[in-house]
Amino acid sequence: MKKALAAVISIAIFIVLSYFFLTGSAPIDYLKGGNYTDPITGEQYNHSVPQQYVEDTKNDTGASNVVTAIVVEYRGFDTLGEVTVLFTAATGLALLLDELKRRTLPVVDPNFILKSAVKVVLPFIILVGAYIFIHGHLTPGGGFPGGAVIAAGFLLMILVHTTRGLPERKLSITESLAGISYVLIGLLGLVFANEFLQNYLPLGNFTMLFSAGIIPLIYIAIGFKVGSELGGIMHNLKGVHEE
Amino acid sequence: MVALPPVLLIALPLLFAFLAPLVGMVSRRMVKLYTLLVLILNALLSILLFINVMANGVVYEQLSGFYPPVGILLSVGYLGAILAVLINVLSPVVYLSYFGEAENSVKFSMLYMLVTASSTGIVITGDLFNMFVFFEITAVGSYGLVASLRTKEAFEGSFKYIVLGSIGSAFILMGIATIYGYLKTLNFYDIALRIDTMPETARLMSFIFLIVGIGVEAEIFPLNGWVPDAYQGASNRVASFLSVGPSKAGIYAIARLIFTLIPIMSGFELSLLLGIFTLVVGELAALRQRDVKRMLAYSSIGQMGLILIALSLHSETALVAAVFLMVGHALAKSILFIGSRDYSGGLLRNPLIAGPLFLGVLSIVGMPPFPGFWGKWYLMVDLASRGAWTIILLIVFTAIVEGVYYSRYLFRGLNGEIRTLTKSEIASIIILASILILIGLFPQYLYDPAVMAARSLLGGGP
Repeated sequence: MKKALAAVISIAIFIVLSYFFLTGSAPIDYLKGGNYTDPITGEQYNHSVPQQYVEDTKNDTGASNVVTAIVVEYRGFDTLGEVTVLFTAATGLALLLDELKRRTLPVVDPNFILKSAVKVVLPFIILVGAYIFIHGHLTPGGGFPGGAVIAAGFLLMILVHTTRGLPERKLSITESLAGISYVLIGLLGLVFANEFLQNYLPLGNFTMLFSAGIIPLIYIAIGFKVGSELGGIMHNLKGVHEE
Repeated sequence: MVALPPVLLIALPLLFAFLAPLVGMVSRRMVKLYTLLVLILNALLSILLFINVMANGVVYEQLSGFYPPVGILLSVGYLGAILAVLINVLSPVVYLSYFGEAENSVKFSMLYMLVTASSTGIVITGDLFNMFVFFEITAVGSYGLVASLRTKEAFEGSFKYIVLGSIGSAFILMGIATIYGYLKTLNFYDIALRIDTMPETARLMSFIFLIVGIGVEAEIFPLNGWVPDAYQGASNRVASFLSVGPSKAGIYAIARLIFTLIPIMSGFELSLLLGIFTLVVGELAALRQRDVKRMLAYSSIGQMGLILIALSLHSETALVAAVFLMVGHALAKSILFIGSRDYSGGLLRNPLIAGPLFLGVLSIVGMPPFPGFWGKWYLMVDLASRGAWTIILLIVFTAIVEGVYYSRYLFRGLNGEIRTLTKSEIASIIILASILILIGLFPQYLYDPAVMAARSLLGGGP
């Protein structure tokens, strides 16, 4: 009875919502509106910030993926901050967990299918993850999803090697080096160009792998960082029990 | 003098925080010294920046090579420079109290550096979303710091902070989305220039979203449910650091919101009302507390209310008062929190500890010549000139309440057997107390920058 009622209600909500979406007025132009002013020079421009992002990405950054151009170039400093948010969360978790007394859970032997499948699948998972972040400036994806895919591979490793866990020290070193290289790429911008995180490499040929200046480098750093960070989080959560 | 780019204040501590695990692998004992050096380097950078701002006016810095608002802009105004110095100078002094502790955690030091950097980021950024990102780092880092003692109280405080902090972040994000939806920009000045083109309701809505979100971090009533538990559960130096860094960054964000971003009359009225409630509720709750850290936490809430009242009066004198109150509160509360043990007392029979703690109490209560006094004095002068006698009466009443519970605190501290703090903690509170005395004796060195900050804020600048 309840299930039937729930089904009826959800269908009704679906119909009402789709009515509003389908019969709405003309589609909103998300690029329009809000011509901006440069606050320092006071110069007025006759297009909006989103218009600039969509129309000038190719000339400004050489990336064929607009989202990547916004994330890594136009608002690159925010992304450094977002990477730091994840880093901070992982550090906080490790602070709380890694010195609590560890008690290994009773080992459950992973079944045969999992064991043999992981051997086959794992290299491909790592490959796909690496592909996603190396091609971040060309195709949908980038450092964060790529790193997450690699971390999924780590999760499989944890499931199969129940007793061993992950090489925590190596993950930690990778994470540090990736973070340092991100900040250094930014600081080199101050040296070779004028500004922090400014592009100082040639833009290259549009839509080719070696293009878009520092974007691929930053995304590779982010990919390594996110992958090792999530791996570290899973390692910390594994088999840790409060006495 | 070479004008260093302000971004170094954020980028360098991030770099060194990423590097810290490697340092920890080489030698765990070095990490404390390493962190202290990094924080001192940051303090020096912030002082250079302050001198630069005072000499040449607001410092702008574009990032990633795109002019604002397409790229991100950092803008260090007078208030931002004052607070950047406050945060970055006090942060190593508070960290000093960590030396000599048996516990030696690399992760703790990393979080400490990250929260220092992100609090600084909030006060020097000129971009709304960038400020949100730094709020996130500050909040996430503080959750970890609060829980770092790993006791039941610590986890309780941290969990309440996580819940309220996440809701607050969601509100900030909704406010930003509303503004971006209408104006297609995230830069403070670009928003300020065109905020009038937004419909009245949308403007008010984004204002409320933002003040609710930021109010969690700035400890404003009724969004501060996490404060007493988090301060009670946190270790002394973490509580001390929270009252130096994140809370000051939060109140700065509110100042920028009501002066630069959405300067509407109802905004000032709303924040005045919130300020009065925060003040009265905080002080009255502090009176009833049995736990010394809870008492100090509620007292902090009261002080935040006072600062918010000063901000929302929209006049030069009141803004100067706000600057003095912020500086005075950061210094005095960091002393009191480091020196806070339980209520059973005995601590104040050691003159090296009693001196700084006593000075801290005097400044908070508002005795001359400390910054707390100057703050309350200018605030009273401004209120008297408008004839706002009700608010004056309220402030006098809460000052009496403050006097009552702080004399109880001192009285209990003087009785009982002699107890002591570690050497580094004593060194830390003595340094803080000397800064407090210096500002008290030479208020003009803070007064002049404060006046410039007030004029700049009233003119719609940073």
